[in-house]
Amino acid sequence: MRNVLLLKFGELFLKGKNRHDFIKLLKTNITYKLRDFVFKLHETQGRLIVSDYDESFEEIIIAKLQQVFGLIGVVVACEFDTSYETIQENIKKLDLSLVKTFKVEVKRADKSFPIKSMDMEKELGGILLEEFPNLKVDLYNPEIVVHVEIRINNKTYIYSKVYECVGGLPLGSGGKALLLLSGGIDSPVAGYMMAKRGLKLEAVHFHSYPYTSVQAKEKVIELAKEISEFCGEIKLHIVSFTEIQEQIHKNCDAEYMITIMRRIMMRIAERICQQNNLGAIVTGESLGQVASQTMQSMNVTNSVVSLPVFRPLIAFDKEDIMSVARKINTYETSILPYEDCCTVFLPKYPVIKPTIKRAEYLETKLDLEQLIEKAIASQEILEITNF
Amino acid sequence: MIYLDNAGTTKMFDECVEVGRKFSCENFFNPSALSVEALEISRLLNETEKFFLNKLGALQGNVIFTGCATESNNLAVRGSLRTGDWEYVFSAGEHPSVYNQAKKFELEGFKVHVVPLNEDGQIDLQKLQSVLNEKTRLISVIHVSNETGAVNDLHKICQIKKKICPKAIIHVDGVQSFMKIPFSLAGLDVDLYSFSGHKLHAPKGVAGLYVKNKSALKELFYGGGQQYGLRSGTENVAGIMQFKKAVELIDVRLNFDKVKLMKEKMICQLSKVNGVKIFDFAGSPYILNVVFDGVKGETMLHALNEKGVIVGLGSACSSKKAGNRVLENIGFDKDVIISSVRISFNAYQTLEEIEKACEIIEEVYKNIKERVS
Repeated sequence: MRNVLLLKFGELFLKGKNRHDFIKLLKTNITYKLRDFVFKLHETQGRLIVSDYDESFEEIIIAKLQQVFGLIGVVVACEFDTSYETIQENIKKLDLSLVKTFKVEVKRADKSFPIKSMDMEKELGGILLEEFPNLKVDLYNPEIVVHVEIRINNKTYIYSKVYECVGGLPLGSGGKALLLLSGGIDSPVAGYMMAKRGLKLEAVHFHSYPYTSVQAKEKVIELAKEISEFCGEIKLHIVSFTEIQEQIHKNCDAEYMITIMRRIMMRIAERICQQNNLGAIVTGESLGQVASQTMQSMNVTNSVVSLPVFRPLIAFDKEDIMSVARKINTYETSILPYEDCCTVFLPKYPVIKPTIKRAEYLETKLDLEQLIEKAIASQEILEITNF
Repeated sequence: MIYLDNAGTTKMFDECVEVGRKFSCENFFNPSALSVEALEISRLLNETEKFFLNKLGALQGNVIFTGCATESNNLAVRGSLRTGDWEYVFSAGEHPSVYNQAKKFELEGFKVHVVPLNEDGQIDLQKLQSVLNEKTRLISVIHVSNETGAVNDLHKICQIKKKICPKAIIHVDGVQSFMKIPFSLAGLDVDLYSFSGHKLHAPKGVAGLYVKNKSALKELFYGGGQQYGLRSGTENVAGIMQFKKAVELIDVRLNFDKVKLMKEKMICQLSKVNGVKIFDFAGSPYILNVVFDGVKGETMLHALNEKGVIVGLGSACSSKKAGNRVLENIGFDKDVIISSVRISFNAYQTLEEIEKACEIIEEVYKNIKERVS
């Protein structure tokens, strides 16, 4: 008898012919996530099982698995060779002393096992009632369900507690995209949410040294580390925006400052996507949150790129975004007071309903191509891991 | 690199390295142990306490060695807190390690007065007088402001206290004054005085609190009862000995004059630059506030950093937060505060370095101003 971890996946079952590829990806991601541990991962009868690990690390392994996109649950199961006696013996090892109500569910995949599921359930329920006198059976709303699975490989699994995982789709199953990562609360959350739908991420950050501090950049690196806990390795492109900001400040209307900044950021982002084979841009914009996130502003910034722009937070309230940020542990870092490049040169009254025509006109005053080229050429690239 | 953030911290004297090694690797004994070697260390610490009392000019009392000035300030202020109908008086110019205690006292329901600063950055003595009464338990003032260099007149403060509430305790935060400006506690009615090692070329992790009357102070934490029961925990012997070494090497008077020349040089050169305003509070020569019109102080700091000049931005402990409480209290405009940097000297740099720094500051300011205008 030994403990194994049974992994449950959610939507993967729906994926028909792609299911195999999804599971393969999931296995790769799990192997990477657990790279610091010794364990075996195998697939039997449509389910993944982690075994042969050091049980003193069980809790931390479960905690790591809970962060793997594509899994919906992990259970610690007791695995042993099937026989009527071993099942009786092992079910007694469950500790149900603090539980009030329960039921037993038996799945008999191995039809050669002589006792039918219903009969087994009654039998095993009786054993548990004898073992724990305070326990009561409740078939409809039990506090816990004791699962007994009799599989065809002559193994039986008993488990009761399910550890919930984050769900979503395996990282990488949706392709690769570029996250615009500022130092704020929203963008790490946006990245997390898209990664949860299977996107592998790279990130770009624009900084304006000396108008912003080295700490502001450090903060973004820290945020990238924090989301890489879920999102895997992240290639972080750090692009200096100083000269571009100075040029906009000198040559364009103050009220269009942010609009034009964001248009140039999008252009740079698209070029980075092209150079690195990324299929979409992800931003943390939320409708109406600030002047640059009105529908008209988004239209003006969106119009300079042809790649899809994913805005998973578009309909989120700030409070909701903050609660996800807390859940994924980015909130504390996000609220550190270092300014990112958006807040320097901030005009008092940014335009709320910019037009494409006006933005295009103002941009004729800039040597756009040269500015963008130079910014991209001087980018610093960091490989961030914390996965 | 030209380092002009000496009010934040200073470079340790080379001489302290050997002292640290000696008291970590050779005479490493726990002063509370019973061996002959340990007793020797215990004796040394007693001598060192006397040494610091001498340097402070204190005729009586004790020195408690702590881990940092924040701890000294907490021991002094929190340790003087008593239940009952007492009142606690603070200046608006206190360092966060005192000021945030005042805020906390208020939250806990104690009566707290925060006395504003006058335009010279000193505690407003008239207002101080008006809040003192026989219920005043503690008055806490900073000796030299870490933000502006303004010096509070301890003599006058002590006189006022003696007249109105002779039993009240006076705590002075002397982190920017001890071994920097010539003064003596003799003749002053100061009960508690905090000072710190790393502002004086000693290592970080060691500081002190002068205590005139130990029975009036309560400990912050409980343990083996070291240092008269006021600071349980094994003494940082090496740190304390390094601190002593550093203080031995400092000639207050000589350094004061040297630094004064540096400050004057800087004021002279920078005041010629268009757009630069100097705020000299005629206080400590070690600290100078410079305002760069039209450019954020933080931008100047980063741009100077790139050119090898390191300056500070208000208190390094509070510069992470927007605004500046002390400068606001003196009555500075927001625009001025946001454009100000703090330049602070040490006596071991040269006038040539200061001259060079001035050139770089001028060049960087002109460049940035051009770029943002």
